[in-house]
Amino acid sequence: MSEYLLEVKDLCKRFPIKGGLLGREVGAVNAVNNVSFKIKKGETLGLVGESGCGKTTLGRSILRLIEPSSGQIIFDGKDITQFNADEMRAIRRRMQIIFQDPYASLNPRMTVGDILAEPMEIHGLHTNKADRQKRLLQLLDQVQLPKDALNKYPHEFSGGQRQRVCIARALAVEPEFIVCDEPVSALDVSVQAQVVNLLMDLQKDLGLTYLFIAHDLKVVEYISNRVAVMYLGNMVEVAESHELYGGSKHPYTKALFSAIPSHDPKHQQSRIILEGDIPSPMNPPTGCHFHPRCWKATEDCKKSYPIVTSSSETHQFRCHNPL
Amino acid sequence: MAEKVLEVKDLVVEFKTDRGTVKAVNGVNFDVYKGKTVGVVGESGSGKSVTALAIMGLIPNPPGRIAGGEINFKGKSLVNIAGEEMRKIRGNKIAMIFQEPMTSLNPVFTIGDQIEEVLELHQPNLDNKARAAKAVDMLRLVGIPSPEKRVHEYPHQLSGGMRQRVMIAIALSCEPDVLIADEPTTALDVTIQAQILELMKKLQKELGMGIILITHDLGVVAETCDDVAVMYCGQIVERADVKTLFNHPQHPYTKGLMESIPSFDSTTGVKKERLQTIEGMVPSLFELPSGCNFQDRCKHATEVCKGIQGEPHLRDIGAGHQVSCFHPLN
Repeated sequence: MSEYLLEVKDLCKRFPIKGGLLGREVGAVNAVNNVSFKIKKGETLGLVGESGCGKTTLGRSILRLIEPSSGQIIFDGKDITQFNADEMRAIRRRMQIIFQDPYASLNPRMTVGDILAEPMEIHGLHTNKADRQKRLLQLLDQVQLPKDALNKYPHEFSGGQRQRVCIARALAVEPEFIVCDEPVSALDVSVQAQVVNLLMDLQKDLGLTYLFIAHDLKVVEYISNRVAVMYLGNMVEVAESHELYGGSKHPYTKALFSAIPSHDPKHQQSRIILEGDIPSPMNPPTGCHFHPRCWKATEDCKKSYPIVTSSSETHQFRCHNPL
Repeated sequence: MAEKVLEVKDLVVEFKTDRGTVKAVNGVNFDVYKGKTVGVVGESGSGKSVTALAIMGLIPNPPGRIAGGEINFKGKSLVNIAGEEMRKIRGNKIAMIFQEPMTSLNPVFTIGDQIEEVLELHQPNLDNKARAAKAVDMLRLVGIPSPEKRVHEYPHQLSGGMRQRVMIAIALSCEPDVLIADEPTTALDVTIQAQILELMKKLQKELGMGIILITHDLGVVAETCDDVAVMYCGQIVERADVKTLFNHPQHPYTKGLMESIPSFDSTTGVKKERLQTIEGMVPSLFELPSGCNFQDRCKHATEVCKGIQGEPHLRDIGAGHQVSCFHPLN
C-alpha cells in the first residue's frame, strides 16, 4: 500500500469551442494542462489561484464530474479514469465534494433529514430505519447542528448552517477524501472561522484527506499542509504551506501573497502590483503563460514553457528565473 | 483639520415588512473629510449598504424611509429635499460605485456612451465633441490602455477589473466631493483588487474627494482608510482612526472579527492553533435582544449587558476613539 491516497498524473481538460455555421471546432480552452500531484492520507492539499485558472475544473475532474481529456487519476492504487459508471458510483462513496454556494447546492424542497439520507439511500448504507435515524443524529452532532434540524428546510438556516448541512451530507457515506471547492468563500468572516475549525476537527476525528480549493490565500495557508498554486491551467508551484509564504520561488506566488491586504499593522509589507489582467485561456501567451505580467521575464520566458524544478523534496516550481 | 464635506448624524432607516417594522440602520454617526477615507466595516446585514443608499437618497420608499437623523452635505441637509434637487447632487457631487461591475453597467451601450450620459446630465454646457473627449480622458485617468479604442467597446468585452475601472471613471467624471464605494473589490481577484485600491488612492490624492469605503474585509480597511466605523446590527459599535482601532480594539466584536482571520504570523511550521471564532450568529433584526445586540455572542457579557440600565451608547474613551460597550476591553 502506498502512503498516497490520491495521485494525479498529467491531467488535462480541454473544452472545445464550436463556431461557424457547421459548428466546427474553432479553438479550445485548456482549462487544466498537464497537472500532476499526489496527496497523502490524512493530508490537506490547498489549491489556490485566481478566477479562471482551472482550480474548480481540476477539483471536479478528479471526481470525474467533469470527464478529463487525458491523464490518470489514481485513487487508492486504482486508476479511476478507466472505471465504468457502476464502478465509479461505488468509488464515489469514498470521495465526496462540498461546493461553494450553500444556497444553490441544497434542494429547497427537501428537509435536512431527506438531504442527509439521500446519499445513504443511493449507496445502500444504514438501511435499517433505526440505524439510519441514529446515523442522521450522529451526523448533525458532528457538524454541531441541533437535533430538530432534521425536519427543517434549507431556507430556515443561515449561510453558515447550510454549509454545515452540506458538510454533513458529504460525510454521510463515510468518505476518505473530500474535495472542498471554496467552502467558506460565501460566508462572513466570523462564520468562516467556525466552518474552517469544523473542517479541521473533522479531519482529525475521522482521518479525512482534503483537496481544499480557495482563492483566499490566508485560509488556504492556514488549513493546508501543502499548497499548490495554479495559473491559467498550469500548476506553477507546490510547497509545504509554511515554505510558500516568504519562501516562494515563483514570481506569481510572491505577487499573489503580496496582493493580500494585511489587517495587521505590524505586517504591512511592500506590495508588488501586477500589471494587466489574467490573459484569456483561449489564447494564452507563448512560453511561460505568466511572462506578460512578470517583472522578471526574459527572452527565454517568451519562447519555452519552463519545466518542473525542485528546490527541495517538497518544493517544486515552474519558472526560468526563480526568486 | 481638513474640510468636512459630509456629516451623518443619528441616522435611522426603517423598512416596513410583513413581520413588522425593522430598523436596518439605527442611530449612525460619522463624518467624511476632504481627501480622507472613512471605512465602514461589518458583516452581511449590518446596515452598511443601507447607510450608503440613504446618503444617495436611494432608499426605496415604500417600504423604506429615513425615520430620523440628518445627512448634511457641505452644510445642506439631504433628508427630505426635493427629487429634482437631489438629482443634481447624486452622481455629480456625491457618486457611488457598486460591488458588481457586471450588473451595474448597461450591456447595450458602449462604455463611452455611459460616461457621456453622466456628463450630459450634470454638465450641460459641454458639447458632443467635448463630452466624447472627456470620456476618453476619464478612461485614461483610470488606467485603461488605448482608451480611444476602448471607449467604443461594450461592457462584455471587458474583464471584471476593467469594468470596475469604468465604474470608477463614470463616478469620477463630474469630480464629486464624496465617493461612496460599496464593496468595490469584493467581486475581484486579489491581484486585481490591489490594482483597484491603488488606483482609488492615487485618484483621491489627485482629486481630493472624501471616500466612504464599505467593506467586510478588514485587510482592505487597514490598508486604505483613515478612520473606521465598525457596524453591528444597524449600529456603530466602535469608531476610531485606523491605527488605534487595529492596535487597541476595544469592542469585543471588533476584536473577534480581527481574530477570526487567519494571519501569516505562523511561518515557523509549528502546528497552528485553532482560529478564534465568534460563537453563534448575527441575531435577526426582528428579534434583537434588549440591551446590547452583541450580548449573546460575547464572552464578556454580564447582567448589565441585558439592558437593565438601558442600551449601550457610543462614548468617548480617548482621542477620537468611541466604543459602544459596557465592558470595553482595556
